Formats: sequence, structure tokens, C-alpha cells
Amino acid sequence: MVEPGTASGAPSGSATSNAGPTVGSTEGSILTTNQWRDDPPAVEVVGITKRYGQVSACDSVDLVFHRGQIHGVLGENGAGKSTLMKILIGLVVPDAGQVIIDGKPSVITDPIDAAEKGIGMVHQHFSVVNALTVWENVALGDQMRLNPEAIRDEIGDLSRHYGLDIEPNAVVGTLTAGLRQRVEIIKCLRRSPRTVILDEPTSVLSPGESEILFEGLRRAVEDEGMAIALVSHKLDEILGATDLVTIMRRGKVVAHQKTSDSDAAGLARAMVGRPVALRSEREVPSSETDSPKRRPTKPKQEHASLEIDSVHANGDDGRVLLDGLDLKVYRGEIVGLAGVEGNGQRPLADLLSSLMSLASGSVRVDGKPIACGRAGAMAKAGISVIPEDRHDSGCVLEMSVAENLFLADPNLVARRGILDHRKMTYRAERLIERFAISCEGPDAPMWSLSGGNQQRVVLAREMAHHPRVLVAAQPTRGLDVGAIEYMSEQLRQAAAAGVAVLLISTELDEILDLASRLVVLSKGRIVGEMSREAVDIERLGLMMGGAVP
Amino acid sequence: MGAIWDIIGNEVTYSSAMRFAVLLLFAASGEWVAERAGTLNISVEGMILAGAFGSAVSYDITGSIPLAILMGAFCGFLVSTIQANLSHRLPADQFVVGLTINILILGLVGFLDNVIEPSVDKASQATIPGLASIPVIGPALFDQPWPLYLVYPLVPAVWWLVYRTRWGLEVRASGEDPNSADVSGIRVNKRRRQTIYLTGLTSGLGGAYLVFGAVGAFADSIVGGRGFIAIAAVIFGGWTLKGSVAGCLLFGAVVSFRLSLPDQGYDGINTEFLTALPYIVTIVGMAAFAHRVRPPAALAKPFLRGLD
Ligand SMILES: Nc1ncnc2c1ncn2[C@@H]1O[C@H](COP(=O)(O)OP(=O)(O)OP(=O)(O)O)[C@@H](O)[C@H]1O
Ligand SMILES: [Mg+2]
Repeated sequence: MVEPGTASGAPSGSATSNAGPTVGSTEGSILTTNQWRDDPPAVEVVGITKRYGQVSACDSVDLVFHRGQIHGVLGENGAGKSTLMKILIGLVVPDAGQVIIDGKPSVITDPIDAAEKGIGMVHQHFSVVNALTVWENVALGDQMRLNPEAIRDEIGDLSRHYGLDIEPNAVVGTLTAGLRQRVEIIKCLRRSPRTVILDEPTSVLSPGESEILFEGLRRAVEDEGMAIALVSHKLDEILGATDLVTIMRRGKVVAHQKTSDSDAAGLARAMVGRPVALRSEREVPSSETDSPKRRPTKPKQEHASLEIDSVHANGDDGRVLLDGLDLKVYRGEIVGLAGVEGNGQRPLADLLSSLMSLASGSVRVDGKPIACGRAGAMAKAGISVIPEDRHDSGCVLEMSVAENLFLADPNLVARRGILDHRKMTYRAERLIERFAISCEGPDAPMWSLSGGNQQRVVLAREMAHHPRVLVAAQPTRGLDVGAIEYMSEQLRQAAAAGVAVLLISTELDEILDLASRLVVLSKGRIVGEMSREAVDIERLGLMMGGAVP
Repeated sequence: MGAIWDIIGNEVTYSSAMRFAVLLLFAASGEWVAERAGTLNISVEGMILAGAFGSAVSYDITGSIPLAILMGAFCGFLVSTIQANLSHRLPADQFVVGLTINILILGLVGFLDNVIEPSVDKASQATIPGLASIPVIGPALFDQPWPLYLVYPLVPAVWWLVYRTRWGLEVRASGEDPNSADVSGIRVNKRRRQTIYLTGLTSGLGGAYLVFGAVGAFADSIVGGRGFIAIAAVIFGGWTLKGSVAGCLLFGAVVSFRLSLPDQGYDGINTEFLTALPYIVTIVGMAAFAHRVRPPAALAKPFLRGLD
């Protein structure tokens, strides 16, 4: 056993990367001297270039991250943001260029080395181990002796300091996406890095959670002189939280400006290279302005396209996941399922992907009951699902783009069980074109695509077999403004073509923008419904919070 | 049915079951760690054999059992360096490497055994006073050749390593999610190699135990597939140490059952069937518990950086 006496105190030797949180203890001294303001920039990259085959992920990028500033990095999907950040953390070796840390030219060999040089990163894709507990994950990568008590205490301190509550003994795999993200952030902050890179940290957080995170980061920046690089697609977040913003396009820095001199439309234009219709600027869809044919013809339709009837489901551990959920989606309408993360969104999506069976209740498509939990039954009945976590269930990273496109239904490109490679390549090329997927070609491995382009592959795959019901779970998570515009348009078109669309989203904006009818999910059941025209945001908020008026 | 009661009531049965189980315990405790790190290490068979032969030869030369046991562990370790470095430093497939090692060691030992013909003795019996007189299981656990007792500290030590040290945490992370472990700054392949070295050491010890503690002689057929039974025990145990120990004891009992039936004058039962019994039990066990146990998520998957 580990003797609590030996290491439970504040770890000494703060020069190492694992000096534990300096929360509180160093605040005062730094505040009084503010010496970091005169330091050389925390990190400076000069002429960084990285090529993958034909693609220039980074093309002689110059960038400076200063202490005491939050530096936003914006860019379309595939612009090279993650690649640049991975170079800083030592996961990718650049072809050319230099990284200068604290004024000293440095070569970063791997994440440990980066941590020793004071650079920490919160990754775009989860880098926590699901089978381990929260504190074990936080301790992962430590160089010192394992002391569970001390680590749990540190987690408690950090949670309080940054307002990120978490139970240290929970197994990470049982947590919601938002909480897993929190583990990752705490893990990074615990090493008390001087430079923190956050790659789309809020794509899985609720607006409230994001706000809390940014407050914490702002404190770290001002009190402790941290330098923060924030990669994000959310313009309001960049505008609200950063001091400086750099915009990348196709591997190049195309703009660099003070946040105070920027506005959303300008940033979006610089990012995409053309004007973009932003969600907030678009008109509220109402029955008058909408084309009448998009309104559901409820009374005429005998059966809802998708009919979920008082379903109950429990988790392996006996937890109630779905608790008498009733839901109907008619053809041609987009139903937005609002709710706070972890209230049954995931089980519902799992249910509709045939990944889960029910304790009771039924699911019907066009009036025909479906065998819940039998592999492929839902897909066969015409339900397509764009899953929430594309790495868990959305795609196979080791397989090619073409293979991923036809994974769900190989019969599209096979004859008598034998894959027709030519046909597959041809069809894949057309889908790649239609959905504007940026990749080297149908044979490019899925892992070589940027996050947003992986999501497009999933969308293309689900749309390829003309579903009757399309379930989109957080479909725009991690997408840039251009891609969000595109995805929204696709969902609208699908509905206009007579598909019943169920949009599961934790982003209220997205639901308000797209849905013609809203239902609210709380604790595994539908607690309220309102039409888009009659939306009462305040009441909606109360319902989402579980306080049904 | 009578035969079964005779056997269950007989202390000798437990002693002989324990003798077989202990070899499995030595090998399985290392194998379990290797599998938790993500390697399905099938060369454990070759490691045991190398340990057995190495210890036999070194006893023939030095006449010292402790020295011979150390030598056995070292020989097992040598074999593990081949497995570890070919499959987790160079990109060779772990099963191909493991299979090749098993065949290679078997051939090499067969050849050298004919040349050297090491002669060995059995280690002396060590009776632990008091404990040995516990009815039924006392003699099995506490009245055995002394090398057997080495396994008692080994199993808890392995548990402690895996669940209570930073090394163990990194091992488990490597076996569950090597990409995340890598991003966290863990050298996944290094940890995996180390667990294979550990398997080499414990399997080599197991081989030496087999020679001095269980058999008291050496033949090139001495291991006879028990390395694979050790792997089966880990799988049967659902990749927990507790379960693996239970698997070893169960399979040990099954093996000794097979041997003691004829001794008791019952020979109606097909011994081939009994030989196959551990594997049948494993398959049945896996079918019965499969929904509850979960192998390490990255078991038998090589780790290459970049598959992010
Ligand atoms: N390992 C790789 N092999 C080949 N190509 C790669 C690899 N990693 C990235 N790329 C390519 O480099 C380009 C930049 O990718 P990167 O992940 O940096 O984009 P990003 O700006 O982070 O996009 P997103 O917003 O979608 O996350 C993309 O075109 C991608 O396909
Ligand atoms: Mg990215």
C-alpha cells in the first residue's frame, strides 16, 4: 500500500511537470509581481509546415501565444488547427519550421516532453480511458509515485477552483460526454501547465458549463499568467472568451486580429472565404414564412413515421435510462429533442440504432412494430442514425473512407456477398463530391480526415440509403460554421423530401433554428412539448432543468 | 459416482491438484499482467519449458536448487525478450512470434536434452507446523516441496503491482486504450514489453518449480501444453486476478482428477476426455459469463502511433 504520510503533502519540486496544482498557493505572489507580462512569449511557432501526401495540413504557419492571453484559433474543418496543436504537444513531427518556448528554440519529442516544457493539451477527441476511474485517469502520465488520496484531494481543489465538479471515484465510461470532457480538462490543469491548448473543448459542454469553464480559464490567465490557445468553431465563444484571434484556412494563417476589433460575420467570412448565413441572423421559422408543404400533415397521416410508445429501459447497473418515453415524429417535420446532456439522449439514440433492448414499450415505423435490440432491425425498417460520438459508433478509423461509407449496408455495392470494388469507388467518389468531404480520395484511411470531415462521411453514409426516419444526435458537434450551414440545409432538405427527422441536440440554438416542433427530455421521459412559433424560452429552460411548470 | 466421492474425500487429491495448480499459477500470474497490458502472450508455453530446462541444466552443474530456480527464471526472461522486442518494438505479429518461439524452444530443448541429459532431484518437503494439520486442505497448502511456497507471495505481489502502483495503472491504460495512454505520455509499447518480461520471469519460475517441486525429473515433454491452460485460466477468470487464480485451481483439480482416477482403480472414464476437460470448462465458462466479463479493450491489438 502507499503510505499516506510520505506523499500526501503538496508535492515539492515544482520545476517538474507534475508539481500538482499550484492553485491558491502561487496566486498571491504572481499577482503582486506580474513579472510574466514582460517574459518572452510563452510559445512561438515559426514557419511550421506539415504535409500529408498532397494535403498541406500546415503551410508555413507563424503564430505567437503570449502569457496572460487567451488566443482563439478559428478555421474550417480541415484547416490544420489540430495538426498545429499536435505539433506543439509532440504528437506530430513537423516537416519544417521551429517552435520557440519561452524564447528558447525547442524540439518537442512527445507529450511528456511537452509537459516538462509547460505545455498541456485538452484534446478534441477524448483521450481518457473509459475503463479507469476519474482519479486514475487524472493520474495517468504522472512521473511520481501513485498516491490516490493526494490525487483525489487535488481533484477536489481543482474542481472548486475552476468550478468543474466531478466525482473522483466514478468510472469514466459511465459518465456523460460533458463530464468526460471535464476529466480531461482537470487532468490537463493539474499539471499546472504554463501554456494550455484546448482543442474544441466546449463541443460537448452545455452553454452553462462552457461559461463556467471560461470563467475558470480567465482566472488562470489573469492570476497565474497562463497562455491559452483555444481552438473553436463557435464564433460567440471566440468573441466572448478570447483576446486575440487567428484564422486559418487550408493550412495557412489568413487573418490575425484583436478580438475586440472583430465581429461574428467578419470572422465567418474570413474563415470560409465567402459570406455565411449565421444561425443567429436567420429569421425564426414560423408557419407564415415557411413553405406550407413543410408543415406536417398530421391529421391526414394515419401513422406517425416514427412512433415510440412508453419505452422503459435500464442500464446494466440497474439505472433507469428511459422512463416511459413517448414520442411521435411525422413525415416531413423536424422534431427537436431538447434537454440537458445525460437525460436519456444517448440511450434513445442507442435504441434507435438497435444497440439497446427495452424493458417495456414499443417502437413502430409507419405503424409496423420493430424488434428492439436486434442488430440491424432499426436500420432495416428505415431508421438512419447520425450518432453522437463518431468515434464510438460512428465510424471505423482504421478503414478507408469508401469502406466506412458502405459499412452499414454493404449490399449497396456488393453482388451476392462479394464487394464490387469499382462500384464502391465510383459511388464513394460521388458521395465525397456531393457531401464535399475533403480527403485524398475514397481509399484514404478514415483517421487521416479532420474531425469535421469524418462527420460528413457519417452523414453521407446515413443519407445514402434514403431513410424514412433520420435521427441526428448532436449532428453539428465539432463542425465549422460553413459545415453547420451545410448540415442544417441537409436536414431541412431531408424533411422537405418527406423524411421524419428527429434532431437530438443539447444546443438550444440549433433546435430553435431547425425544428418545427420541440419536445423536452428530462430524466428519460418527455416532459413537455411546444410548437416552434409558440416557444417560451423561459418555460423551456425550466422544463430542461426538470422543474416542469 | 463412488469414485468421485473417494476422490473428494481424499487429502492426496488436494495435494496433487495443488501441485498442478501451482505451475499454472506461476505462469498465469505473469500472463494475466501481459494480457491486461494488451498482449495475448502465447509464448508462455515456451517460457515455461525454457525455465524448466535451464534450471535442470544449472542444477546438474551447480547442484544448488535455489541457484537453479534463479536460472530458470532467467531463462524464461530470455525467451520473453525475444517475444517482447519482436512484437512490441519491431512490428511483428504477436501470435506469429509466439507460435514460432514455442516451436523453436521445443525443438531446441529436445535436441539439447539429448546432448546434456541433465539429472535432477526433487526439492525437499517443507512442512509448515500447525497449518499443515488443518484437515483436508492443510497438507495440500502447507506440506509441499519448498519451491511451491514461492507462489504465495507472488500472487499478491502481482495484484499489488497492477492495482496499487503507477506502473500498474499505466499497464491497464495501455491494455484498454493505448491511444489515450500515448496522448497522456505513457510509453505504451515499453509497458507492454515489461509485462512480457514479467511473464517470462514468472513462467521461468514455474518451469523450475515443475522440475523441482512437482516432478523431480526433466523431460522435454514436461510442460505438455500447460502454458496454454494457463492462458485459458486467465480467460476463464475474466481477466481478473481472482478469477485467474480460481481458474488455475479448477484446472489443476481437473488434471489431477484425471491422474488419480486410474490410481483409485477406476479406469472407465476416457482420459482423452479428461485431458480436454479444462478447455471444455473454459468454453462453457466463457459462454456462461461472456456477458459479464470484458477483455481489455485493446487485447491483442498492436499499438502504432497515429491511429488517432
Ligand atoms: N495523419 C494524417 N494523415 C493524413 N492526413 C492527415 C492526417 N492528419 C490530418 N490530416 C489532414 O490534414 C488536414 C488538417 O487536419 P486537421 O485535423 O488539422 O484539421 P482541423 O483544422 O483540426 O479540422 P477540424 O475542425 O475538422 O477538427 C486535413 O485535410 C486532414 O485530412
Ligand atoms: Mg481538429
